[in-house]
This record gives sequence, C-alpha cells and structure tokens, in this order.
Amino acid sequence: MNHNKRIKILTGHFGSGKTEIAINLAIEEAKAHDKVALNDLDVINPYFRSRDVEGELKEYGVELIAPKGLLATADLPIVSPEIYRVLKNQSYRVIIDVGGDKDGATALGQYYNDLKGEDYELIFVINANRPYVSTTEGVINTIKQIEDVSRLKVTGLINNTNYGCEHTTVENVLLGTEIAEEVSKKLEIPFLYTTLSEKIGDHTQGFEALNNINYIKRFMTLPWEK
Amino acid sequence: MPKVLMKGNEVIAEAAIHAGCKNFFGYPITPQSELVAYMANRLPEIDGLFLQAESEVAAINMVYGAASAGVRVMTSSSSPGFSLKQEGVSYLAGAELPAVIVNIGRGGPGLGNIQPAQSDYFQVTKGGGHGDYYTPVLAPSTLQEIVELTKLAFDLADEYRTPVVLLGDGMLGQMMEPVEFTEEDMKVLPEKKWATTGTRGDGAPKVISSLELNDVNLENHNHTLQSKYEVIKQREVRFDTYRADDAEYMVVAYGTVSRIAKSAIDEARENGIKIGMIRPITLWPFPEKPFEEYRDKVKAFLSVEMSAGQMVEDVRLAVNGKAPVEFFGRTGGVIPNHSEVLEAIKSLAGGGQ
Repeated sequence: MNHNKRIKILTGHFGSGKTEIAINLAIEEAKAHDKVALNDLDVINPYFRSRDVEGELKEYGVELIAPKGLLATADLPIVSPEIYRVLKNQSYRVIIDVGGDKDGATALGQYYNDLKGEDYELIFVINANRPYVSTTEGVINTIKQIEDVSRLKVTGLINNTNYGCEHTTVENVLLGTEIAEEVSKKLEIPFLYTTLSEKIGDHTQGFEALNNINYIKRFMTLPWEK
Repeated sequence: MPKVLMKGNEVIAEAAIHAGCKNFFGYPITPQSELVAYMANRLPEIDGLFLQAESEVAAINMVYGAASAGVRVMTSSSSPGFSLKQEGVSYLAGAELPAVIVNIGRGGPGLGNIQPAQSDYFQVTKGGGHGDYYTPVLAPSTLQEIVELTKLAFDLADEYRTPVVLLGDGMLGQMMEPVEFTEEDMKVLPEKKWATTGTRGDGAPKVISSLELNDVNLENHNHTLQSKYEVIKQREVRFDTYRADDAEYMVVAYGTVSRIAKSAIDEARENGIKIGMIRPITLWPFPEKPFEEYRDKVKAFLSVEMSAGQMVEDVRLAVNGKAPVEFFGRTGGVIPNHSEVLEAIKSLAGGGQ
C-alpha cells in the first residue's frame, strides 16, 4: 500500500480524530521535507481545530493554511484561498484536514479539478466508538456520502478507535480493527494502520502486543489535561 | 449498551431521547448546533418530531404548544438565542408547563463570540424573563453527568410543572468523552390530567394560559408559584464537594470550570495548602447547606467562574459574612487556565506555604 503521496487528505466521520492525525502526519512530513503545509478546511467544528495550535505547528516547521486573525474564530464557513498556492506547487508536501461527515467534505469538493491530476491520497479515519459508525455498514455509508460530495475516492483507512487516553481498552481497539478490515475487504480500500495516543500506556497495559500501530501525540487537549 | 464517544451536545440530545423526549424545536447557533443536528437525525428514528423553527422565539412557542399537549419536549440554544427565548420561558412558568431548555453559553454580552462562557448565570438563576418566577437550573461538569442531569431535568419539569434549564458552556458542548446510557426505569410521575388532549365530551374544556386579568386571582396564582418554588428549594438542591473535609480554604466552581479548579486544588494540596471545593450542581436552587456547614470552619472562599463575577453573589449570600469571599474569573470566552487558578488559590492562602 502506498501511503506516501504528496497530498494527504484526511476525511472521516464527525469527531473521528482527523485533526489529531492530520497534525501528526504534517509533523512527520516536516522531518523529511522543507516545505510542509497543513490546510485546515474544517467548516464544521467551532473549537478544537488545527488553527488552534498554529504556534506549535510552526515550531515543528509546519506552515498552517487556515482562516487567520479575526476570521479564525468568526463562526463563518470559510476556507483560506491560500490552499491554491500549495496544491500545484510540487515542492510542497500537503496535508488537508477536512471537516467531519459529508457536510465537512462538501468544502473539499470545490478542489476536485485541482486535485484530480495531482499525486494525492484520500484517507478515511474510523473511530468505531462514535455514533452511526459503530458498524461496518455505518462506516461504508459515511464513506459513500463523503465520496459523493467530494467527487474523490477514498484510498486508505486509518483505525482511530478510542475512548480517550484513560478509557480505551485493547478489546475496543481490536473491535475497530475488525470493522476497518471488513470495510477494507468490502470496498477494496487498503487498511493502513491503527493510531493510538502515545500516552495510552500510562493508563492501560497490553497495547504493546498489537500490530501495525502508529503512536500519535495529542494536541487538542482540555484545560485540565495540561 | 456499550460506551460511546460523544460530544457534549450530542450527549444532551441522546440523553433527552432516553428520557422520553419526543419533540424538539430549535434554531441552530454555535456552539450548540450539534445538538440540533443530532436531534434532526435521531428523532425521526423513534417516531418523534424534529422541527427547525424560523427563530428562537418561534421555537420556544412551539415548545409551549407541545408541552400543553403533555409531550416531553426540549429546545436548545446558546446565549444570544437563549435571551430571545425568555418571553416564552416566562409564559411556560406562568402557565406551569414542563419543558427542558438547554443553554450552552458563549462569550457576551451582545453577539459576543463563540467561545465558552458562564456569564448567563444571573439570567438563568434569577428568572431570566419577566415576572416573579424561577426555573430549576442543572449544571453538569462531565459528559456522563449530562446523561444523569438531562433525565433529572425532564423529571423535575414534569413533577413540578415547570420549565427547567440545563446549563453548560461551549467547552462542555464541544468536548468529547465516553459515556454510557443505561436503560433506567422511568420515574413514576403524576398523570398529566391538565394536558390539552381533547375532552371527548367527558368534562369541562381544559385551558392552558398565563393570562389572568383579575389582579387578586393573579396574586393568588403567584402565591401558588412561590409555594412551589419553596418546595423545590427544600427538596431538589444538589451539590458535590471535593477534598472539603479538612479544608482551610474553599473554591466554589461549577460546570467545566470545576474540573480546572480540581486540578489546581490537587496541585495546591501538594504545595501544602489545605483547600477543597464546593461544586453546585443545581444553580437554582443554590445549595446553601454546604456553606452553612463550612463557613465557620474555613478561612476564606474563592469563587472561580468564566464570568465577571456572578455566582460569587450567591456565595456571599450563603456565606453570610462569616468568612471572606474572593473571586477569580475570565470573561469574553477566555478559559481560565490551571496555573492562574492555582495562583489565585495561593494568593487566597496568603502567598502559599
């Protein structure tokens, strides 16, 4: 499976963990590439978006493309036109953090003509603990809806099934893996890997035994989690 | 039912469905729109009715209609939209109709912004609309507690025939935590004999109204309402305490802010400051009992809020001059951080030990 495209687009169900994964992927890209841009395309969430951690991203060498200044929190469904600057520039590695569900993916649809000729992958993130995506059918429905409005095909699946650091269990992660594998088989979309918080081991043991895990750092924290 | 990872707004909606809510009328506003969106998906699945009204004023009056017919009904909004609903809430209180109104507060005054705030405390605890009335106000601090308090909100509404407010802030609405919905038995409540479901020729017409043209009759109606509020004050106060037993100082905080305070309290304890917390769960009726218990024992109280200082007035009334009451707050949608709350605690305790 190829997970090394120049443009990585993160979609998924509302609240599936796309933003955390997008930030981590961008940071990973910045280790190997000079020019990395993270595009915050989230027109759904009012809080907990990539744009909230612009300062940290800069430290990692990631450029944030998002509504800036007063527009960043204006409660308007807007995206930054700056995305065009990096979509066609082959020297940029690009991560696109799309808002949840088909409603969020609608904002992606407008770039169809700009994306179709480019080296891109469209990743679908699954957290099977979220309402409406706890079954294979639920996930498939959401994928179809997102493909319809974005006019793009999903090319890879990430299992991000968790209850947050303190409550996630091995069994629960495996349940997500099972659903991701079933979806992968039915839709013939590669299942890339499972993501877990790097702090998961502080709370529960047994995750070491799992295969194909990518540990990620959490950025969208609550004020009492600092 | 297994645990589900949900947003606070979604939890309120699902908890309402579990509590038997059949009707929802609302108008979207950030940061509570997920509640409206969830209801739009979910209510048709249980043969309920979801209707997006043309405005908050329309929505609250639709609530009035559904409540008159005896249906469990809810509406939700955020600060500016909640203000628009106040005329309707006053009518519900006057007509003694049960309904649940959710307010997921944001920065104000005016249009303000979409960040979290607790600056609607005065509005929710002192009536909010016109006339002499109160509404019970429930303030959850975790997503699991939302499940419990949403059910309680519907039960209180029906039991006392009153509108009940569920109050959170944007952070509570937007954050995610795992929650579990348990299939509990419904509380047995008096039959809604007053509901306007048609007389079928078997009695006098039923009328639901808050109109009373005769002054003496309206005063009598006010007496009835006031006695009801007294009963609620006697029976329905809820609060929680944290590390309070040996406390020399006491934080008072509710909702999400109580969780920031908790982590600051733990660190203050490590620094040798004996501090605890009183967390009101019902904001009206305000829990006076724990203050009566602790006001002679502790050296000072500190009210921590996402407001310019609103609950602190109720804290002062409850402490009744027996101990100093200080305040720390952030406004305009700024969330107080752990370290500044810790600093406020240290300064309360005289610079720390």
